[in-house]
Amino acid sequence: MAWLNRLTAEVFSNEPFSASRNFLVSAIFWLVIGVTLGTLAGALMVWPDLITGIGNLSFGRLRPAHVNMVTLGWLSMGYVGCYFYILPVLVRRKGIWNERFANITMVAWNLVVGIGIFCITNGFTEAREYAELGWCFDILVLAALLALGVNGYMTVLTGEEKKWYVSIWYILGSLFWFPLVYVIGNRVFVSFEGLNDSIANWFYGHNILGMWFTVGGVGILYYLLPRFTGAPLYSHTLSMIGFWTIGMFYAPTGTHHILQSPVPEWLKAIAVISSVFLLVPVLTVLTNFFMTMRHKWYLAADHIPLRFVISAGIAYLLTCIQGPFQATRSINWYLHFSNWVVGHAHLALLATFSFIVFAATYYIIPKVTGKKIYSKKLAVLHFWLTLIGWMLMLISLTIAGLIQAAGWHFSIAMDQWAFEQEPYMLVRFLSGVMITLGQVFFLFNIYKTVFSKDAEPAPHSPTGIDFV
Amino acid sequence: MRPNINYLIAAGFVALIFLTIIYVTAILPASTFQPEATRAANVYVEGSPQFKGREIYRREGCFYCHTQFSRYQDREMGELVKAGDYVNETPHVLGTERTGPDLSNIGGKYPDAFHWTHHMNPRVVKPGSIMPAFSYLNDQEMSYLVAYLQEVGKRRKPPAWVAAPQEYRDRYHLVAESVDVNSSAAANAGRGIYMQNCAQCHGIQGRGNGPVSISMQKKPANFTRPFYRSYDDATWFWRVAEGVPGTRMPRWYKTLGDESMAYVAAYLKTLPQDAETPVANMDDIDRADKMDMNYWQIEAAKNSLGQNDPFQAYAPTTFKAAVGGAH
Repeated sequence: MAWLNRLTAEVFSNEPFSASRNFLVSAIFWLVIGVTLGTLAGALMVWPDLITGIGNLSFGRLRPAHVNMVTLGWLSMGYVGCYFYILPVLVRRKGIWNERFANITMVAWNLVVGIGIFCITNGFTEAREYAELGWCFDILVLAALLALGVNGYMTVLTGEEKKWYVSIWYILGSLFWFPLVYVIGNRVFVSFEGLNDSIANWFYGHNILGMWFTVGGVGILYYLLPRFTGAPLYSHTLSMIGFWTIGMFYAPTGTHHILQSPVPEWLKAIAVISSVFLLVPVLTVLTNFFMTMRHKWYLAADHIPLRFVISAGIAYLLTCIQGPFQATRSINWYLHFSNWVVGHAHLALLATFSFIVFAATYYIIPKVTGKKIYSKKLAVLHFWLTLIGWMLMLISLTIAGLIQAAGWHFSIAMDQWAFEQEPYMLVRFLSGVMITLGQVFFLFNIYKTVFSKDAEPAPHSPTGIDFV
Repeated sequence: MRPNINYLIAAGFVALIFLTIIYVTAILPASTFQPEATRAANVYVEGSPQFKGREIYRREGCFYCHTQFSRYQDREMGELVKAGDYVNETPHVLGTERTGPDLSNIGGKYPDAFHWTHHMNPRVVKPGSIMPAFSYLNDQEMSYLVAYLQEVGKRRKPPAWVAAPQEYRDRYHLVAESVDVNSSAAANAGRGIYMQNCAQCHGIQGRGNGPVSISMQKKPANFTRPFYRSYDDATWFWRVAEGVPGTRMPRWYKTLGDESMAYVAAYLKTLPQDAETPVANMDDIDRADKMDMNYWQIEAAKNSLGQNDPFQAYAPTTFKAAVGGAH
């Protein structure tokens, strides 16, 4: 039972930065399972009879399992892992406010993700896109979010540094907004009838992205960029304008997901206008990104985490041009209901925000464990497999989406064109296999780093260039 | 740390604006947007098969691939949905992607037996479909699901099928002054034009099985489908003239005159549109050696082989028992 004692000691540790490490490691574990489920769902789009007679593995249950696993299991836990390293460092504090409290939250969160998603695949689901977890899990997630919020806010308030770097604003903002969005969006605590239910559904479905993944991801990006390049952030003012305009313009955009359904026109108008106005915060982030990177691009040759950040920045440019473009009525008229949108979702969550967390993991894990990353080759493989994977996925889903959109738009019977998507679905499946393989390398690499006893100690490296 | 009062006022103001935005766009609609129920609204009595079927529809994630609202631009989907159609739809199943077709008007469109077979193995009745087989549902659940599908949109007006635009109606009426499309003479003239121009794809019996159809991914139309009864004369004329977008059906007005196209329409009207005779394999493709058999002889031969009953070969015995029990 020695291993159990050791595990308990590690899991419920009060060591500084142990929560950050534990959150990141469990996030990567869910990531591998999540992308495997996604790849399996992708395979079913090519070979529908691959699995028959097993309800738990049918497409309609795999898809919500995949979505919840990568949003709540991987990205959310990864974000919290990054927050619990970045916040104490920025306020000059040794570890967060209460590491043991955060570690208990981590265990609870893992249980919710594991059991909740197991329940989804067994048919216990609320069946609202992005908010499928059953009501009992919703309450637990909310409690965990509040616990994390308390920890985050207390860390900052008890820190020595009183001048807040912009990342703190973004991180604390996301920890304030997400519980609020979660309460309304999951309709456990507030319930609506008929079409109002769909309005609240897409308020949540869009704002888990806008008020949580975007705000948190940009906060982490603003921390990593100056660290990796050794250059100060281009403009603090721009980043603050970005922060407040995200708050203003993201909240009302959800209705653009049901733009052509019979919900009130004024709501659609607000959604479309604020979607286009999202270009304001996006351009502040991108200006800061490109201007901070100026004269520093050469670093990407050796700096593996920086490579992830650069590709995330460029994917952010793509996804945020696509987003407002798709939300306008005339474009939505043509593209809605198609796989194009699925490609867009992967561009945002995989190519942008997951890449930011990949970069952060490769930087934070050596910092919190004091060990150098096990293998540079595996990290490079992880980078290229995931990068090429998401590109193939985006291209194939976009083409498949255009075929679909043309079919619906010209009212051609579905059996006349649906099979035209098959080659693109095959490419999508193969891209999923590449991405899954990349994440397996990632998990193995981080596992060997964290758990091996004879790992190389992390060298002194302010920009993190020697960590990988 | 003593917070600066100016910061606190500013932060409070911003938080107030933010909460107002959330209130207005997520919560306010629930009190101001309460449409009256329309005639087309689906009705679910709690505990009824339709109600239970809806739960299964949600549980199995059908709404990830099927939407339940038609849009302005969706032609051939019948009456446009209204907000009042959704008063009983809580939680909503609007859907956001159409990997499969829209289901807002599915009720009454197909017989129960079709739905049953389709869910057991979609590829039996829809070759090439990528819908998952829901064979893991038990008979009870399946009957609920089918009951639900038959409820969705059944109170809506029957759909208006694709129809010729006014421009073509006017043009057709001009031709109809010189061509009587109901006369056997016109049909006979059309038959010649059909055999020269159309039969290589649509087949000599109009079953969409001409020799060229082998090479086509989008198979030519099968005129024996009962669906074509809904075509009026002007629609036939328009379809021949303008072709079918997205397929290899040409725009015949470029080669044929208006009168010739009217003759073709006259001939197409004479084809038997009483039962769909699917083209299931290569042997069904029209070839020269089959030309001595007429349509009815081929059908009789196939019937004797039991090839014409798609349900007979695949449906499990439990399914038959349940369908028998349901009626």
